[in-house]
Amino acid sequence: MLVADIQRFCMHDGPGVRTTVFIKGCPLKCAWCHNPETQSEEKELLFYENKCISCSACQVCEKNVHYFDELHLLNRKECVFCGKCVSKCPAKALEIVGKELSVEEVFQSVYRDVLFFDSLGGITVSGGEALSQWEEVLPLVKMCKEKGISTAIETCGYAETDVIKSLVPYVDIFLYDIKDTDDVRHKKYTGVSNEKIIKNLFFIDSLCVKTIVRCILVNGVNLNEKHLENVAEIVKRLKHCEGVELLPYHEFGEVKRRASGRKSLAKKEWLCNEEQIKAAVDFLENKGIRIIKNA
Amino acid sequence: MKFFAVNGKRPTRLSEKTRAFAWESLNHKYGLDTAKDPCVVMDEYSGFEELSDIKKYDLIIKDIAEKSRIRICTGEKISGAATFGLAIKHLVPATVNGHSIFSSVSHLTIDFETVLKKGVNFIKEQSISAAEQYKGTDKEEFALSCVNVFDCFEIWHKRYLDELKDREELKDNYQILLKVPFKPAESFYEAVQSIWFVFSFVRLCGYWTGIGRIDWLLGDFLKKDLENGKLTIDEAREILAHFFIKGCEWICGGNYGSGDAQHYQNIVLAGVDEFGNECTNEVTYLVLDIIEELGISDFPTTVRINQKTSPELLTRVAQVIRQGGGVIAVYNEDLIIKSLTKRGYEISEARKFANDGCWEVQVPGKTFFTYVPFDSLRFLQEDTLKGYEAGVSFNSFQELYAAYVKTLSIKMEDLLSYVNNERFLQNKNQWTWKPTTPCSVISVFESGCIEKGHSYLEGGPVYNVISPHIGGLTDVVNSLYAIKKLVFDDRKVTFEELMEILKNNWEGHEYLRQFALNKYCYFGNDNDEVDAIAKDLVAVFAELCDEINDRSGFDMPGGISTFGRQIDWAKTRMATPFGKRNNEVLAANFSPTPGTDQIGATAIIKSYCKADLTSMASGAALDVKLLPSSVKGENGIEMIKGLIKGFVSLGGHFMQLDVADIEMLKQAQEHPEDFQNLSVRVSGWNARFVTLNKEWQDMLIAQTGSEF
Repeated sequence: MLVADIQRFCMHDGPGVRTTVFIKGCPLKCAWCHNPETQSEEKELLFYENKCISCSACQVCEKNVHYFDELHLLNRKECVFCGKCVSKCPAKALEIVGKELSVEEVFQSVYRDVLFFDSLGGITVSGGEALSQWEEVLPLVKMCKEKGISTAIETCGYAETDVIKSLVPYVDIFLYDIKDTDDVRHKKYTGVSNEKIIKNLFFIDSLCVKTIVRCILVNGVNLNEKHLENVAEIVKRLKHCEGVELLPYHEFGEVKRRASGRKSLAKKEWLCNEEQIKAAVDFLENKGIRIIKNA
Repeated sequence: MKFFAVNGKRPTRLSEKTRAFAWESLNHKYGLDTAKDPCVVMDEYSGFEELSDIKKYDLIIKDIAEKSRIRICTGEKISGAATFGLAIKHLVPATVNGHSIFSSVSHLTIDFETVLKKGVNFIKEQSISAAEQYKGTDKEEFALSCVNVFDCFEIWHKRYLDELKDREELKDNYQILLKVPFKPAESFYEAVQSIWFVFSFVRLCGYWTGIGRIDWLLGDFLKKDLENGKLTIDEAREILAHFFIKGCEWICGGNYGSGDAQHYQNIVLAGVDEFGNECTNEVTYLVLDIIEELGISDFPTTVRINQKTSPELLTRVAQVIRQGGGVIAVYNEDLIIKSLTKRGYEISEARKFANDGCWEVQVPGKTFFTYVPFDSLRFLQEDTLKGYEAGVSFNSFQELYAAYVKTLSIKMEDLLSYVNNERFLQNKNQWTWKPTTPCSVISVFESGCIEKGHSYLEGGPVYNVISPHIGGLTDVVNSLYAIKKLVFDDRKVTFEELMEILKNNWEGHEYLRQFALNKYCYFGNDNDEVDAIAKDLVAVFAELCDEINDRSGFDMPGGISTFGRQIDWAKTRMATPFGKRNNEVLAANFSPTPGTDQIGATAIIKSYCKADLTSMASGAALDVKLLPSSVKGENGIEMIKGLIKGFVSLGGHFMQLDVADIEMLKQAQEHPEDFQNLSVRVSGWNARFVTLNKEWQDMLIAQTGSEF
């Protein structure tokens, strides 16, 4: 499977101490994406300008991807991901995102922290989109369950219902994103309709599997009462939902967006201020929704 | 009154009066009062200089008892105060001709159990019988000096009674002091006062003792009082809070260098009793309540955690740790008891362990303890590698490693000779202690001394321990590993070239320096290859300790520490093969070298736990720093609990989880190389703090302290 990163001791990807596996590739292309380097299903070369010591060791590249014109510049489309520049770079300014790992290898990485998981913590498969490589994720979570490791899937829900059905027996909890309840906006900002997403959420609930609903808050896009009202409606109908986590938009993904050579789509006004966040929390709590405060 | 917290607000359970008392004590009121009166002055005693040391000592203690200021604070629930400034400086507070006369003793926890259960009179009687028994022998003078301690203690005690007698608002204090500490305590209130009064007197005379297992000492008293309805839990909390607040009476503000909780008055909580039964009780929770509310760091507290520790206690510990400040640390009790029985302690004795007022393990009330620290990195640089001078060469990693082991073994022999010469008159299986500074005040509270007729510093206690403490171990491991990779495995550079480069402090070799620093995975990243070197070196060191142990009059268990010495050691340390330059401040204790740990807390704990730490009976400390944002919210407590449980299961010894505050983030901004493993997380996104540029870092700093 193509993995963007495996991070240990993750704080906010489900209960307890967790190791999060970030899968490469996502069917949604959210304008505000916090992990833009995980969107594409292909490998990517990241360049962190602030770490570069201009030693030019990267010019080992046979395809001449790296050149210096006062600044260190890249000709990314020539890159064949051979990794030579990365292994030469002494300052960790270069990184290839996307590592081909076997299910067993990923499992072994997760297993390293098994003694910290206790009964609560475990693995969280995230991304990108966890379900974009469901054929590998399925044996992975199965293997974890067999070893007594708790499993969580963090998903945008945009997948075939049958795929979700096949995973459900091995998943303890879904961290389920609802980007926007307005389908017109959903299409505009993520590239796809939310219809399938909302349908799948109810499907998971019908199979008595626990969920935490995670909602991004983007000022000027979905930060309005109508959307929150809809979220409350949906969550109230779920029988196995543990609560809602609100994730106010932030700009931190921009570092990696820049490193991956993408153009910024971000708008300053997307940031929510504290009063807005508090108002959203109060609004949902008044509707009887449990808000999980972790971030 | 805003008691500082890293994460959110501290709870309020104590009365306003008690909180106000804490506030003024934490803000130096009593410390400055103590400091203004340094000591007794012996100049006026004619013939003082001609007296024997012990006679001088006896006079001094009497003078202290008679002349020290009595301080009674408004509304204090327990009385007694250590009111001499020189005592804060680790001296017996007395001078002659402007010079101090006797140094004091620390690194011990005295026997409060006997004080509580049998009363000070019992120990006094023992001293009187010893004086009879040793009449006419060379031990008589010591025994008489012990009796003198109690005479002086009674004088000081009576001065407090006189002062309290007519003060209506302090009549409880008066009534209780009529009984304790001379007679056994019978209630919780009496027990707290009893410990405090003995502690105060010992401190007044300049000695720094730990408190030990306060919950184990006080638990039964409280249980009985609660059952009889004699006391409520809230009243008990108030009384105990005054113990903690009065313990701040030496805080003087200003810049101490290493902080203001430096009088080794450590406390150990929870764990099993001598029979193996868990002794966590209401007092355990009261102590945690008080620390959580007032943030008092003057009593560094360590909680004994075992595989069976209740989820309730773990949760409370995690909640207090989350407040930051690093006040609460944890011991892995299972491993420590095992390490002590392995050294020959009876299991019932091992189970009583507390510490020396720092974190080095000892059986309280019956152990002489000191340690001999050394910089093992300096040995590598100076001795094995001859200061990186040309002409030193090794053909393989194994050869280099063997040479370093040889160096260590020579240094341990030196250490043994030093210890034996310093402490003994001759050492042919006949260990006769050298006479040294008198210390009767502490000797009477250490079991073994009166019986044997020897002082605390002359072999009196039941156990006598001098622990070799290896420092810079992590940096040695990383240095050896870097040489292995750069020279022997990856052949980036020859051995001779590397030595030349290091001698020149990496000048002109920035590429290679960055390569060494960033391309290898050093200790603290759960990398089996480098951790194996650490594991083996710990085993080697343990074996060397065992080898010298039999040739000393002491028990010599190993320990791994630097305490704060890495700062001083930096001055003489040269560049390291893993990319650090001359004079950089390197690893603390057995923690990763700053900037080399890149995966996170679980990986740090795993690397540390791979060594067999049962062989380090004195202790091996691990410091782990966590960002406040990473342990916030509902899941934060579970994160901390997970780390502690993993630490215990994997076989750690002592761990301090420190939640860093905003100030620390600012430091991280200025010195990113030292904060590589601080990972930040805001909902869906995650990255290492140091990979963000300033703009974003500033934003994160601004966010620290709010809910989202």
